[in-house]
Amino acid sequence: MLKYTLRRVLAMIPMLFLISIIVFSLAKLMPGDSLGGEIDPANTDPEYIEQMREKLGYNDPIYEQYFRWITNFIQGDFGKSTRYKIPANEIIMERLPNTIFLSVTSLIITYVLALAMGIYSGRKPYTLGDNTIATANYIGLALPSFVAGVFAIYIFAFHLGWFPSNGSVDVSVTEGTFEYWLSRLHHVLLPAFVLGLLNTASYTQFLRNDIIENSRKDYVRTARAKGTSESKIYNVHIFRNSVIPLVTFLGFDIVNLVGGAIITETIFTYPGIGQLFLTSVTNRDYSVLMTLTMMFSVLTLVGNLVADILYGIVDPRIRLD
Amino acid sequence: MKKSFLKLAALMLVLSLALAACSSGEKTSKSNEGGNKSESQDGGTLTYAMEAEFKGLLDVNFYDGQSDSEILSFNTDPLITFDENIKVQPNIAKWETKDNKVYKFTFEKGVKWHNGDELVVDDWIFALETIAAIGPDHQRWSNVNTIEGAKEFNEGKADSISGLKKINDYEIEITFDKARANNLENIWYYPMNRNHFADLKGNKNIDDWLASDQVRVNPIGTGPFKIEKVIPGESVELVRFDDYWKGKPKLDKVVVKVIDGSLIVGELENGGVDMSAFHPSLLPEIKKMENVKIEEVPGLSYYYIGFKLGTFKDGKSVMDKDKYANKQLRQALLYAIDREEWIEEFFSGLGNPVNRPMPTAHWIAADNSELPVNYTYDPEKAKQLLDEAGYKDVDGDGFREDPNGKKFEINFAHYDTGNPTYEARAKAITQYWEEVGIKSNLTMTEVNLYYDQIEKDHESMEAFYGGWSTGADPDPWGLWGDDTVWNYPRWVNDKANELLKQAVDTEVVGTDQEKRKNLYVEWQKIFNEEVPALPIMELNDVYAISNRVEGVKITPVGMDDMHKWTIKQ
Repeated sequence: MLKYTLRRVLAMIPMLFLISIIVFSLAKLMPGDSLGGEIDPANTDPEYIEQMREKLGYNDPIYEQYFRWITNFIQGDFGKSTRYKIPANEIIMERLPNTIFLSVTSLIITYVLALAMGIYSGRKPYTLGDNTIATANYIGLALPSFVAGVFAIYIFAFHLGWFPSNGSVDVSVTEGTFEYWLSRLHHVLLPAFVLGLLNTASYTQFLRNDIIENSRKDYVRTARAKGTSESKIYNVHIFRNSVIPLVTFLGFDIVNLVGGAIITETIFTYPGIGQLFLTSVTNRDYSVLMTLTMMFSVLTLVGNLVADILYGIVDPRIRLD
Repeated sequence: MKKSFLKLAALMLVLSLALAACSSGEKTSKSNEGGNKSESQDGGTLTYAMEAEFKGLLDVNFYDGQSDSEILSFNTDPLITFDENIKVQPNIAKWETKDNKVYKFTFEKGVKWHNGDELVVDDWIFALETIAAIGPDHQRWSNVNTIEGAKEFNEGKADSISGLKKINDYEIEITFDKARANNLENIWYYPMNRNHFADLKGNKNIDDWLASDQVRVNPIGTGPFKIEKVIPGESVELVRFDDYWKGKPKLDKVVVKVIDGSLIVGELENGGVDMSAFHPSLLPEIKKMENVKIEEVPGLSYYYIGFKLGTFKDGKSVMDKDKYANKQLRQALLYAIDREEWIEEFFSGLGNPVNRPMPTAHWIAADNSELPVNYTYDPEKAKQLLDEAGYKDVDGDGFREDPNGKKFEINFAHYDTGNPTYEARAKAITQYWEEVGIKSNLTMTEVNLYYDQIEKDHESMEAFYGGWSTGADPDPWGLWGDDTVWNYPRWVNDKANELLKQAVDTEVVGTDQEKRKNLYVEWQKIFNEEVPALPIMELNDVYAISNRVEGVKITPVGMDDMHKWTIKQ
């Protein structure tokens, strides 16, 4: 397995290189640059804008700009954010904890709900309970996240008042206290739930279908004939087999962990990496954009690798070499 | 084993939900915090919402962006201010001048900074020297380099700016490099606390300043509220500054929050937000709310339809395109648009048609009665002008051809930011034109590409929609002069340009504001007659304010007198 992992890691490098070239060129080909939005003829000197363009090197040909960027990047200099005026890695590190908190919470909620509902549906297929769960899930699948987000806010935050509708924490609470962490948890629950809606639905249905399929297999008959209890059959034997597709999803979830919450973060004004990525594209903040892209690419590739390895661990029939 | 773990996890989840629901004594509406004295109007927390994220540069000398400036208006006071007609007025400083070249400023005594220091002229000198030391890298360099000696200071040839002479702690004499009518409006009129920034004094690298805690984490000012806490990208908490020089503010706290546009209506309705600007299209929903009142303020922005009359070559506009060169054609196209109806339909009526490229609130704006043409909606007049100009329908297809008998079509462009009302309103314009017989096509272009193409005189941009926001300095040269890249129509009119040059020349106008205004009125008359761009409308700014809040004052320039605002408990 070690050789396998090593081979995969080495294969990542040319792929990352290629990704960086493509994304960089696409970003630069987009019309406009970060200074375009600053134009305020009453207050902004066009000479200042021209000078800034020269200084930031926007007038050089694309390959020169790319070369400059890649040499800096490899040495660890991720550039300065033209929008926030601080180094790119600083603004990313500022927002990262929020997104990680959101994603981990979302993941926990998703898995707990999906496992609970999936197992229940799998054990009692075609009953009323199963059909209700399936209906709810398909609705969850069909709703786009921005619709779900706005509805959730209107119902849970405005009408029922159970959750706050925006922000990551209450501004008047002092940091580090128990109240502070409670406030953070309180703020993150609704976005985490909305974020996880889609995944919950698909995981539940996958799990349910797998359990039903596995419960028809021969080894289940054998186990029953040998006198194993129903709960042991379902919760140990069948479960272990059915959980395989979920394990592969876990690998991909690592990327969603950091990057996937763009729309949810925007609606809930939850300042995290997703929202940062969106604003960096709209504002042509190239340093942040490229750093985030490289980060997402590395995470995707690592996530794939982790999924494949986990697959090998969970399913003894698969040998990695 | 797995089953019990699952049960446990599910239980924990339910518990945390219950805990979350119970523990929220603080709900979405924070309006009941603070101020337990219910007998007076003192106290309370105002929650102010804005849609665009703030960047976090919260010292006025380094701010860069609309959202930051909204927060700064609560914690900063300018030395001079502007009234509803955008005429300059004294605030902390008053001034005297005989020749528009040498000014003597006198500061109010006893103005305190948030850290307890008293404001003296040294703080202003510190601000000007900081910007001058950083030089062209600083956005405000053009507001400082008009002072005599600023350039030399920047180049290191002098260790102070010769044009700044401190007379005493409260008086300073400033000499500009030459006499100009707008020297006062143009100079950078904010001080910087020299003790707060002592460790950065003289630093020529603007990045060090921008990354400093004094700008991002604990900025100070002289305004009615001081910044207590910043949560980047989300909210800022400001608390009352008791020693504010205009008097102790009534509110306890102001919380500024960033809230997504789709949620503003809901937040206003349930009291989570007390005050916010909103887009005109939301007017019908907000009007229905009983707990919210609407404040409409004349704005400083105007919108036009420009025609590409030429190109920008070597730093100068040259009128070398003849498609829209015919003045009668342009006038007809303006007569053909029912501007009242258009504003009613797409902006809920929160604007007015305008016949000159200047908002009515501005002191140099020409009165409609002074302008040669008023362009009230008149499609018959439009058709008549088109006939006179030679644009007639010769081949019977229902659309007019140009005077040479060739097909004539207008390719109208509008910027696209994702807002669906933009396309509808642009289509309406093309429909007005087709009603008078001119074939028109519409292209929606992504906003960044749009302005890129207009700036570079791309051939696809021949008729385009645009808008500008004017500032305190009335001089429109920056937008309509012949050597400026922002003159998108590339209009050149010698007589008009001469008037603008005279209006800033002190040898012609001296310090006489009336003379200046008259020159600008003459300029507007020429524009109104020639219409190189069709002035369409000016928008009013609208704010939704909760009925609990009283005493709010908003002028075209911004919010004012925040220390007098109160909240009913």
